[in-house]
Amino acid sequence: MAGPLIPAEHQPHLPRERLILTEAPAEERIDMDVVFVGAGPAGLAGAIHLAQLVQRDNESGDGIGEVVIGVLEKAASLGEHSLSGAVVNPRAFRELFPGSSDEDFPFGGPVARESLYWLSERRARRLPTPPSMRNHGNYVASICEIVRWLGEKAQELGVDVLPGFPAGALLTDGERVLGVRTVATGLGREGEQLSGYLPPADVVAKVTALAEGTRGMLSLAYQEWQGIGSENPQIYALGVKELWELKRPLDRVIHTMGWPLPNDVFGGSFMYPLEPTVAALGLVVGLDYPDRTFDVHDRLQRMKAHPLFREYLEGGELVEWGAKTIPEGGYYALPERLSGDGVVMLGDSAGFVDVPSLKGVHYAMQSGMFAARAIFEALKADDTSRARLATYDRLVAESYIRDDLYRTRNVRPAFTGGFFKGAIRAGLATLTRGRFPGGRIDMEPDATASRRPGAVPRVPYDGRLTYSKVDAVFKSGNATRDTIPSHVIAGENLPPEVAEFYAHMCPAGVYEVSDGKLVVNAPNCVDCKATDVVGPRWTPREGGAGPQYKRM
Amino acid sequence: MKIAVCIKRVPDSEARIKVAADGKAIDETGVKFVLNPYDEYAVEEALKLKEGAGAGEVVVVSIGPDAAQETIRTALAMGADTGVLLKADAVGLDPLPVAKVLAAELKDGGYDLVLFGKMAIDDSSHGVGPMVAELLGLPCVSAVAHLEISDRTGKAEREIEGGVEVVEFGLPAVITADKGLNEPRYPALRGIMMAKKKPLEVKDAALEPGGIEVVRLSPPAERKAGRIVGEGPDAVSALVEALRNEAKVL
Ligand SMILES: Cc1cc2nc3c(=O)[nH]c(=O)nc-3n(C[C@H](O)[C@H](O)[C@H](O)COP(=O)(O)OP(=O)(O)OC[C@H]3O[C@@H](n4cnc5c(N)ncnc54)[C@H](O)[C@@H]3O)c2cc1C
Repeated sequence: MAGPLIPAEHQPHLPRERLILTEAPAEERIDMDVVFVGAGPAGLAGAIHLAQLVQRDNESGDGIGEVVIGVLEKAASLGEHSLSGAVVNPRAFRELFPGSSDEDFPFGGPVARESLYWLSERRARRLPTPPSMRNHGNYVASICEIVRWLGEKAQELGVDVLPGFPAGALLTDGERVLGVRTVATGLGREGEQLSGYLPPADVVAKVTALAEGTRGMLSLAYQEWQGIGSENPQIYALGVKELWELKRPLDRVIHTMGWPLPNDVFGGSFMYPLEPTVAALGLVVGLDYPDRTFDVHDRLQRMKAHPLFREYLEGGELVEWGAKTIPEGGYYALPERLSGDGVVMLGDSAGFVDVPSLKGVHYAMQSGMFAARAIFEALKADDTSRARLATYDRLVAESYIRDDLYRTRNVRPAFTGGFFKGAIRAGLATLTRGRFPGGRIDMEPDATASRRPGAVPRVPYDGRLTYSKVDAVFKSGNATRDTIPSHVIAGENLPPEVAEFYAHMCPAGVYEVSDGKLVVNAPNCVDCKATDVVGPRWTPREGGAGPQYKRM
Repeated sequence: MKIAVCIKRVPDSEARIKVAADGKAIDETGVKFVLNPYDEYAVEEALKLKEGAGAGEVVVVSIGPDAAQETIRTALAMGADTGVLLKADAVGLDPLPVAKVLAAELKDGGYDLVLFGKMAIDDSSHGVGPMVAELLGLPCVSAVAHLEISDRTGKAEREIEGGVEVVEFGLPAVITADKGLNEPRYPALRGIMMAKKKPLEVKDAALEPGGIEVVRLSPPAERKAGRIVGEGPDAVSALVEALRNEAKVL
């Protein structure tokens, strides 16, 4: 294949028949009132706020009574599948815990200083920080710590927090979502039952809140099934991130643009001090990049050799490594509705991320809190229909979530087709608070973006500053047993170029090319979902498989 | 049959352990705690014995901080019936005060069997189980890899150097579990939901000060990086040479 490659031509369909079940729930089912799928900031803030509303209601006399709230999470322990930057806007925390002050929250330090640089291979030129990227008043934090902390708060309020139980499918009846079926544990490679086998369990609830984070499979399946569209397709970026113990303290938040990314690739890097000598370092890249051998993990490795980073990292220690995608479509990629009969979609699963500021945590939490309000009213009225739950859509539409995303609606789309043109267009879009260019810039899905042949990147990895994908996966804590059934669905008889494209994109070495054929090392997967966007489909696998992040 | 299982909350074996600033304890920030793996075998065995008998009660007992309630809930989610937390914020290294508190708790409980893990993976002392047996005046078989109970007697197998030791004893008795005794089950979703509603009694443990003082903790010396001496048949002599003269194992 000499010409350009269109990934969509080789991508299997979303396995909707596996993800949307129409058979009746099993008799041995677990009944809850509300089940949240995903213990990220969205699901946990939603569960906490709902429990608060229930508690308040019951204190006031004629209350609603016991409301069973569960949170299913695919990681073995809370936070182990959570990865973010992160510089966090404390706004949603303050609203969720009105009696607390910022010192009570699981944050590192406040952002004291920040610098933005334009990088070339050897130089770093300081740029003024545009208003949309400013972080005054925000805090550096580890999302793993945030999630563990929120999990404790939820449990104190009586929420059933259930790590180790991925939701594998939606249980449905007509248009209504009835709940979810969890994924079995203890299957062998051919699907046979091994000694620790645990069958799937059906969880039936009045409302199912999908808070699966980026590229949520159940959310995607629900939208496809219900024909829920959006003005622009959702697009994604891949963030590869490392946590380092530094030799020299870092006293500010750093963002960079430019090298090691070519000018026709959208993205940038971040370096955040979680403690003076513990820093997060990451590279975030739009998945519409035009070169099929482009490799985000490799670029991050190269980037560390830049004097700007090297001076902090050299002699330090890589503590953790991980990767995750980010929905970057913004305002015009939001689903046209967020709720349905017995179901709502929250956080990254709905696409609440502001791209210029790289923020999603507080939107995720806030959306969970809005959903909690709508769910509570619906439970009170004993009516969890689409019409009732639409209160959630209205609360989001009237909030700063909508306003913030609307203001930056054309920033990311402006960058398709090159950095410099993009920077000018995005700059104008920002200056005019989103009014330039007027209307909406059309986007195409990442899977249809054409990929040209490219030079295979090569850097020797030294195991001190730079790490291979194999070493990286080890540093993600991934200890998935290698007898687990493969959870990815790849196309058949793929041309070698396509296989190579996947191998370069996947930061965890799930895909390799051997004799021109695709080899899948499924246990390596860290659930970043990057290749799910353009190629092989990711499906939920047994609880606890995947990474075990501690402070990402 | 009434069975007690004594369990401990310990740092996960995967956790990155750092010595705290005072040099005498571990720094617990960011460390995940789990049910001691050897205790999982003990819990599983108790559940199997109860299921085999078709009746009975499994009580889990732990000494530890408030957070050990979560560890007890794990055992309840596996299927144990009730839990007791003997609350102590700091549990020292000396097994004797711990054994005394447990023995006092178990003494009048009417237990047919008291199970322990053979050791806790945090201090590896192997001490508490046998000490409790001694304090209660009960027979004790430690590091059991296979167990059969019939009527009022038991037969236990211990894996010893080069063979298997078979021990018979009368009930009540104390058993400490070795790896391989069984395959501990994962708690099912339903079990976890039900565990929340099972009784868990919390009382203060009056731990005596121990007779052992921690002087210093230090991480093990870093292992030297491996070395590849060569590849293919040509490398054999270099390998033999290195094993003989550097590693001195030949
Ligand atoms: C590299 C990177 C840097 C970022 N930097 C920042 C930043 O600096 N500031 C900021 O505010 N935001 C940042 N973000 C975005 C932010 O992290 C997300 O917007 C936020 O985490 C979204 O929260 P969520 O709860 O919707 O999803 P998530 O945090 O992704 O949580 C979803 C949870 O659901 C679980 N899950 C998924 N599927 C299932 C299933 N089927 N069954 C059970 N559980 C499931 C997942 O394991 C996960 O725990 C960054 C993101 C990345 C990737």
